[in-house]
Amino acid sequence: MNDWLNLLIGLAMGLNLVALGTGRLPSLIRVAALQGVVLGIMPLVIEHELRLLGVAVAVATAAIKGLVIPALLRRAMRTANIDRDLHPLVGFLPSLLLGAAGMIGAVVLAHRLPLLPEHHESLLVAGSLASVLTGLLLLIGRSKAISQVCGYLILENGIYMFGLLLMHSVPLLVEGGILLDLTVAIFVTGIIVDRIQRAFDSLDTRKLTVLRE
Amino acid sequence: MNPGVLLAAAGAAILISILGAFRAPRGWLATLLAGALAAAGAATWILTTGSAWEWRSAFLLGGQAVHLRLDGVSALFLALLAVVGGAAGAYSREYWADAAHSCSAPRGRAWWSALLLFIGLVLLSSNGLHFLIAWELFAVSAFFLITLDARRREVRAAGWLYLAASHTGTLALFAFFSLLATRTGNWDLGPMRNHTELAPLFWLALFGFGVKAGMFPLHIWLPSAHANAPSHVSAILSGVAIKMGIYGIVRFSGWMPVPDGAGWLVAGVGVVSAVLGVAFALGQHDLKRLLAYHSVENIGIILMGVGFALVAAEHGYPAWGALALAGGLLHVWNHGLFKALLFLGAGSVLHATGTREMSRLGGLWRAMPWTASLFALGAAAISGLPPLNGFVSEWLVYLGLFDAVNQPGAAVVGAIPAIVLLAVTGALALACFVKVCGVVFLGAPRSHDAEHAHECGGWMRGAMLVLAAGCVAIGLAPFVFWLAVHAAVAAWRGIWADAPMPESLATLGFVHMGLAASGVAGAAWLWWRAHRHGWARGLTWDCGYAAPTARMQYTAGSFAGIITEWFSWILLPERHEHRPTEEFPQHAEFEEHTPETVLERVIEPVARLVMWASGMARRLQHGRTHAYILYLILGLIAVAVMAVSWSR
Repeated sequence: MNDWLNLLIGLAMGLNLVALGTGRLPSLIRVAALQGVVLGIMPLVIEHELRLLGVAVAVATAAIKGLVIPALLRRAMRTANIDRDLHPLVGFLPSLLLGAAGMIGAVVLAHRLPLLPEHHESLLVAGSLASVLTGLLLLIGRSKAISQVCGYLILENGIYMFGLLLMHSVPLLVEGGILLDLTVAIFVTGIIVDRIQRAFDSLDTRKLTVLRE
Repeated sequence: MNPGVLLAAAGAAILISILGAFRAPRGWLATLLAGALAAAGAATWILTTGSAWEWRSAFLLGGQAVHLRLDGVSALFLALLAVVGGAAGAYSREYWADAAHSCSAPRGRAWWSALLLFIGLVLLSSNGLHFLIAWELFAVSAFFLITLDARRREVRAAGWLYLAASHTGTLALFAFFSLLATRTGNWDLGPMRNHTELAPLFWLALFGFGVKAGMFPLHIWLPSAHANAPSHVSAILSGVAIKMGIYGIVRFSGWMPVPDGAGWLVAGVGVVSAVLGVAFALGQHDLKRLLAYHSVENIGIILMGVGFALVAAEHGYPAWGALALAGGLLHVWNHGLFKALLFLGAGSVLHATGTREMSRLGGLWRAMPWTASLFALGAAAISGLPPLNGFVSEWLVYLGLFDAVNQPGAAVVGAIPAIVLLAVTGALALACFVKVCGVVFLGAPRSHDAEHAHECGGWMRGAMLVLAAGCVAIGLAPFVFWLAVHAAVAAWRGIWADAPMPESLATLGFVHMGLAASGVAGAAWLWWRAHRHGWARGLTWDCGYAAPTARMQYTAGSFAGIITEWFSWILLPERHEHRPTEEFPQHAEFEEHTPETVLERVIEPVARLVMWASGMARRLQHGRTHAYILYLILGLIAVAVMAVSWSR
């Protein structure tokens, strides 16, 4: 079971690097969607016996993260008429290197943390930390609002992975909380994207500095 | 009748006067004077009977029961407050009249009453929390009085400096009272000398009250605030408000244990303040700023008395300790009286000529004989000349120090230099006031304004006469006032209550009376001779020139030049000179300015550094959300590192 899970986590971590290395917005959205689907499968692997509720949650996660949100993002991208993050604040190669370093750091840190014995073998903690770092790197390094939304998504994915650790104690609560969180975040960002587009005729968040006091 | 009734009457009268300040100026003055009289009555009661009045009420304010107390120490300051507050209030009726200041005069009256009320509350409250509240209200009402003429830029600057310095001190007092309350378990104040663990708190009190008292080098707010405030406000600031710092130091060194060696520090600060205060005063060209530096000097003399009293208390010498403390406390009264008189005199000069710049004054004695004579009397008193009150209190301090020299012990080492430096201070003060009186009142007018000066009216003259009468009374009958000071000393240290009046005090009184009588007789004889032979008017300082002009007179700077040269290491005077070189010089100039050394060379550079650092910190806030997220991560990492390193 752990092998399957670790395989999935490894896949998600690989997708992190792809997200950091790409400048095209459609592929970034695709990566985020794919990671969402991978995450949706994870609870099925963790659970020893399949129950209806678990399956429903997994399907809902995969559907929302893999289909609904990416569809919304694609629409926003088409409306704003952009498909590239041309002027990232942190270049693609440096962010890729930073992401890789962060991933190594996350693995090292996860080994040193005082975890429960059953989590020692899994990559869950390392993967979650790496995803959070990747999300933050995207937030810091990219200038377009849509890339930043993807950063949020990946960051939430990291938190979701961390929540999987608690799967056995409070499964539904964690799932529900995270989904709610994400939905609100996407709503808010969607509105912000719309407003930025209308106010500045561009999605470049650097222009937001004119709003400071 | 008891002091409580009088105090209640005084409080009620002052409250009514606040209401009358806007509509009924006459009613304001009447109720203010009635309140001052009642407060003076209560203080006299306490000081003559040597008792204490205490009142605990069930009424809660801020969760604390109201607890008022009037004993010898607070009564001494209350009496000064009543006299100076009443006299300068009457003075303001003419000096800051509605006709000239239609907007600020009513405001000034209201804040004046408020200031008197809150200072009174500081003196009465015997609860740490209420003390702090009253202290803060007192500081704020003083700020509004200083900035009464807020249209002038330098007034606003002086006001802000005062407010900032005052709050720095208040911050220390907050720490002091809160720590006191946490260590003793309640906010109630009172004698607690057996709690020896409270001793280190004295340093906080010394700093907090020292800022208000204006002791060197915490005096930075004092010169500009005193110089720029309206003169009646300067009078109460210098006469009473800075004394509240002294009150705090005396009060809490009496009630609380004092760390070893604190007396030496207080005395040392006193000596430094006295000598440097007068040195800075000599370098000033602004009449009121000069007087302000003399406040620093006199606070120094008071602190010398208090400091040596603390030394005596620590080493167990009640005899000379009581003398030093009595000298310091009597000097509180004396300085309050003569400095208020001098500021009112300076205000009357400013009122008549519109300038405080001594280089634009001169020859005012002819136009303003009352102001000039009363100012000269105050100047003689502050210089410590017999037969006036300044001599009495300085002489008590001298007596204490001389007795300290005669006793075995470490005090000798400190007392001898203190005596020498006190004498130096007196001599320099005399030089400084010779300069002031000579430049402002003698000679020929240096400007058009000084030429057309006019004498002040009845209210201003009356107020100055009351204060001058106080100066003369203490000078002529010091043994009467010994009773009052003795009551305060007994309230400070109960075991010092049986300190006898120094025998020579009566002798001094009689010598003073003789001196005064012969002085009056001499003046009468001169007057009679002058009337008989007529006046011959001539120029002062014509130095044999055929056609002297007013510009050939000694200026304030040149008069004090030799002495300020001795102190140039601390005064750091700024000079711009262009000496004449050729036979027919076309152009020559000389200009000298004494900066506020502590403020400009220490506080301002530090403040600039803080401002620079704050400016750099402001650059972190630039509106780029990306970087804000970076700050978040860095913060998170820092917290994680801290958590990990502390858990190990």
